[in-house]
Amino acid sequence: MIILKDIVKEYDNIIALKDINLKIDSGELVILKGVSGSGKSTILSLIAGINRPTLGEVIVDNRRVSKLQDRFASLYRRESIGFIFQKYNLIPNLTVSDNILTPLIPINLREDEVRERLDKVLKEFNILDKRDIVVKNLSGGEQQRVAIARAFINNPKIIIADEPTANLDEVLSMSFIDIVKNLKDNKKIIIIATHDPIFFDLDIVDRLIEIKNGKIL
Amino acid sequence: MKKSKINLYLLEFSINALLRAKAKNISILLIFTLLVALLSSIFFISNSIRYELNSVVDTLPEIIIQKVKGGREYDIEIDRVDDIIAINGVKSVIARVWGYYYFANAGVNFSIIGINQYEEQYKSSLERLTNRVDFDTLEANSSMLVGIGVRDIMKRNYYNRYFNFIKPNGKLKKMTIAGVFRDDILLESNDIILMSQRDAREILGISPSMATDIVVKVANPKEVSTIAEKIKFIYPDTRVVTKDDLKISYRNIFDYKSGLFLALFTISLFTFFMIVYDKSSGLNSQEKQEIGVLRAVGWSIDDILKEKFYEAFIISFISYLLGVILALFYVYILNAPLLRYIFEGYSKLKTPFELPFILDIETLAIIFFLSVPIYIGATIIPAWRASSLDVDEVIR
Ligand SMILES: Nc1ncnc2c1ncn2[C@@H]1O[C@H](COP(=O)(O)OP(=O)(O)OP(=O)(O)O)[C@@H](O)[C@H]1O
Ligand SMILES: [Mg+2]
Repeated sequence: MIILKDIVKEYDNIIALKDINLKIDSGELVILKGVSGSGKSTILSLIAGINRPTLGEVIVDNRRVSKLQDRFASLYRRESIGFIFQKYNLIPNLTVSDNILTPLIPINLREDEVRERLDKVLKEFNILDKRDIVVKNLSGGEQQRVAIARAFINNPKIIIADEPTANLDEVLSMSFIDIVKNLKDNKKIIIIATHDPIFFDLDIVDRLIEIKNGKIL
Repeated sequence: MKKSKINLYLLEFSINALLRAKAKNISILLIFTLLVALLSSIFFISNSIRYELNSVVDTLPEIIIQKVKGGREYDIEIDRVDDIIAINGVKSVIARVWGYYYFANAGVNFSIIGINQYEEQYKSSLERLTNRVDFDTLEANSSMLVGIGVRDIMKRNYYNRYFNFIKPNGKLKKMTIAGVFRDDILLESNDIILMSQRDAREILGISPSMATDIVVKVANPKEVSTIAEKIKFIYPDTRVVTKDDLKISYRNIFDYKSGLFLALFTISLFTFFMIVYDKSSGLNSQEKQEIGVLRAVGWSIDDILKEKFYEAFIISFISYLLGVILALFYVYILNAPLLRYIFEGYSKLKTPFELPFILDIETLAIIFFLSVPIYIGATIIPAWRASSLDVDEVIR
């Protein structure tokens, strides 16, 4: 369960978020919608522990994520969060496999376990044949699947996707939605920030939350 | 989840990261290697020269007596030996016949030393040498023993078996080369020619009743200055130089050199810090982005720093090893062309000598600590700065 409590986030002089209170239960699929600059990405990064609120608290499964020391915050990101970034944030001159494996490196797992997990996500997201290709040579849709595979390598409880269809054509967008549908069965929390209408009336969506000027409507 | 064993995935990632930026890292490796090589060469050369100077100083006689008139040195009468040996505390007195011979074709000076079979030599290395040589034949055949440097120069001028000296009266004196000697004290023995005193007198123009100078051995080192004063009293027309005086002047030569050495040292350090500064003044945006991405997917600041440490250590340690090897090769195999002349103030008139091989852990450690940790620091500090920022600030 994710709880955002009285969140305020300021950047220099800009107030990106104010008075955000939000509760998301396990198994929920939540869509954050809102125009550009409304604060969607900021909420996602607070939940993912890659940024901290100016005021308020982020609590995930009774852990006060927004107050964790670096060591525990990174552990939280690694174990609980699978983040599919808007711009994918892959390392362009690493291969598909190496990119997907980056979250595993600090864990120092046994080699067979690493291989097993890698094969699983490569197959699941249909990039097995691309495994040794350097990421910058892939198409946008392929890069997105690499980003998704990386988000899943640690089998996290919370999946976060920021504008996942912004760079995709309709066919690829539909295949992303298929992926989300499959996830829905897994009891994971899924949070998607988007202004793409194709998400708005999907029957798998539990809640549609609209953000405007840093506030929940 | 605590793991004590080394994380090979992280190490592999670091190596991979180095290879990804191949062009950049190869140029860093090259520059770094050259700097380490320069630094090491300076250390090696100065160590060798200092070792040689110390060795030379150790072999100096306790007192040298020269005859001086009007500030210039003249030959000294041999019969003064008898008066000096009578002074209390004097162990032995030797009249030396030696001098420089300028070989115009090569533009160098040789040191000619005349030896007498039945006389004690003024230093032990000469003593050892003379014990091995048959002086009767040396004298009978007008032949000589030469140092390696002398041999090489003569060879270059097509004197393979003999050499023609020009005597003060303009006539030639042909001396055959009976052998080559190699002493452990190279700087000193390299330009030396040993021959009988008779031949030396002929070539240097010293008459049989005279010597170049007189050296004195003293039984008790504490008495050196008193004895020196007594000699000066008996012979006011002499300059009496003690080993301590010589030590000071030798040290002055070296101090002057170490000044130059320091200058070079500073220059190389300066260049070094320029590179370091350049590195520490920031990562490029791609590197920053990468750090942000790794942090976002769950790397801690520690993990990032470890990864950067591996990168920096690999590159700087390889450079260190290559640089030291390069310097060893340059200094001791090639004999440090160019650089060495900065250290030998008097090289022009000296026969070239080989630098004795001196390699101690201390020097290697100093070079290590002047290079590797500095580079590691310069790599880690900006990485630390970048990784301490909010993650989403870096990757947004
Ligand atoms: N690191 C930052 N420094 C300064 N301002 C920031 C930073 N991150 C976000 N902002 C500002 O905060 C506000 C909310 O940004 P955010 O990225 O959350 O919006 P968004 O809803 O995700 O927009 P988009 O649809 O364009 O991605 C914007 O005004 C943005 O300019
Ligand atoms: Mg956004």
